[in-house]
Amino acid sequence: MATYTERQAGSRLADFIGEHAQVLSIALFFVLCMLFFGAMTTTFLTSGNLLNVVRQAAPILIVAVAMTLVITTAGIDLSVGSMVALINALAAIVMASGLDWTLTLPLMLVAGALIGGIQGWFIAYQGIPAFIVTLAGLSILRGFALYLTEGYSIPIRDAAGFFWLGRGEVLGFPVPALIAILVAVLGFVVMLRTQYGRQVIAVGSNMEAARRVGMPAKRVLASVYVVSGVASAVAGMLIAARLGSGSSNAAQGFELQVIAAVVLGGTSLMGGKASMLGTVLGTMTIAVIGNGLILMHISPFFTQIVTGTIILVAIWMNTRLFDRQWRFGRRKSA
Amino acid sequence: MRTAPSAPEEERGASPLSAAPILTLRNIHKTFGSHQALRGVDLDIRPGECLGLIGDNAAGKSTLSKVISGTYIPDEGEITMAGRPVRFATPSEARALNIEMVYQDLALCDHVDVVGNLFLGRELKRGPFLDQKRMLAEAERMLAALEIRIPRLTAKVEKLSGGQRQAIAIARAASFEPKVLLMDEPTSALAVAEVEAVLGLINRVKARGVAVVLVTHRMQDLFRVCDRVAVMYEGTKVAERAIADTNLQELVDLIVGKGGH
Repeated sequence: MATYTERQAGSRLADFIGEHAQVLSIALFFVLCMLFFGAMTTTFLTSGNLLNVVRQAAPILIVAVAMTLVITTAGIDLSVGSMVALINALAAIVMASGLDWTLTLPLMLVAGALIGGIQGWFIAYQGIPAFIVTLAGLSILRGFALYLTEGYSIPIRDAAGFFWLGRGEVLGFPVPALIAILVAVLGFVVMLRTQYGRQVIAVGSNMEAARRVGMPAKRVLASVYVVSGVASAVAGMLIAARLGSGSSNAAQGFELQVIAAVVLGGTSLMGGKASMLGTVLGTMTIAVIGNGLILMHISPFFTQIVTGTIILVAIWMNTRLFDRQWRFGRRKSA
Repeated sequence: MRTAPSAPEEERGASPLSAAPILTLRNIHKTFGSHQALRGVDLDIRPGECLGLIGDNAAGKSTLSKVISGTYIPDEGEITMAGRPVRFATPSEARALNIEMVYQDLALCDHVDVVGNLFLGRELKRGPFLDQKRMLAEAERMLAALEIRIPRLTAKVEKLSGGQRQAIAIARAASFEPKVLLMDEPTSALAVAEVEAVLGLINRVKARGVAVVLVTHRMQDLFRVCDRVAVMYEGTKVAERAIADTNLQELVDLIVGKGGH
């Protein structure tokens, strides 16, 4: 029988752990990785190296925050790597043609939003699966980048302000890392504290319910691809600013790293379930593993094997160890 | 959120005590592919009255209620609300005219907490941010008013029982001053005490002048809350009875089509 009887309130700790199981597991994993590499190498835990890790992780983190929104709607954006390469190349071409970097910057953001918007239109309004649309995007955008650059790397000259974005420091802290942290905080606030975030979660959780309560479900669905387009544009420019050139070969395999980071952080591919904090931790875990293995003088080719294995193990840990009902104190169901 | 068009003054003046329908459906047709879900249905819904909508499975009860709530757009027919023709292209347009619906599948977001679901689509905001403190307080008030008890309002809805989920869906529809409240099988997943609570709730909103449409299979509920019963059969309305002039046996006969065939 299921009447409204008074229940003893269960353990709040159990509720907390139950609801944040995935974030806690990735946090534990992250700490273990830090300790492991800290113990195995003398250089890993130096501030210089750690700052280097965040600098390198910055583009991934920025796009991963946007990808968290996309995956929360039960979608996927496979085109982010190609988008990064295209914007990366396009920015260099535009600047080489004489446009000032202060104008190039907003222009590229608009370009990213536009391309993301086109993909979002196909997905939300034409009902084509996101996987298909962005798979096509992956091919088309990379193709455009190659076509525009003819495969060459295009140098960027005389744009000190632009380079500062990729190489500069504020109080000893790398600028790209600051931008990434800013984006992550913004993502966190948007996801948990704004109506838009609530709409994204609702659309991913139950699109028909979202529509019935009057949310602009299709517009929300399309908008997350605009967000990921803009984020990819930011990442593309940060990479261009760090390397001082634009190349169609930038960000190879980038989309897989981003998706891995988001999934590792506990955002469900089935939609509705999101964790920005998890995404940050997931990104940093992947970055730390990549960096740590290099410091341990393990073949860089091995990194991919380890990263893949760790994703599998982490997800397995999530499902087997953390994602279940926890009991504390009294031995009865909480 | 869109504001509802101003309620017609003349309507209220002309008919002091209900009788005049708030919502009128004429010749409603709806076809899904080759399946004629509704074949010309007329229906009047009056304020302060509970209309029972009964019929066998696939008789068109849910389809009809979804036409009223704007979820389905009828292929043919007119809907007038308080004398004015209306046409709902989306559920939000119906909702803006204070037509609320409790869906059979509840239309809840499992990954959003209880408070969030109650305010889904009309979140309270403070500046650009969600006003979670105020929503929580309002949610507690809403649920208390309906005598619904949920232990933790910040729990995700997926963690709740079927009855609790249904209670939330009902609370969401009943709490925002509806003029027409559609309920599609609201008591199907409920235990005895919860059914009592829902029937009590229907009588209370009715007393406030709300027009209630109750789609149900539970015949005993009809005699507790309904004033009129419309019987659906194969996409048509075959009969309409004032509850005082009918009995259980007659309604059952009407549902299965005895006498008519």
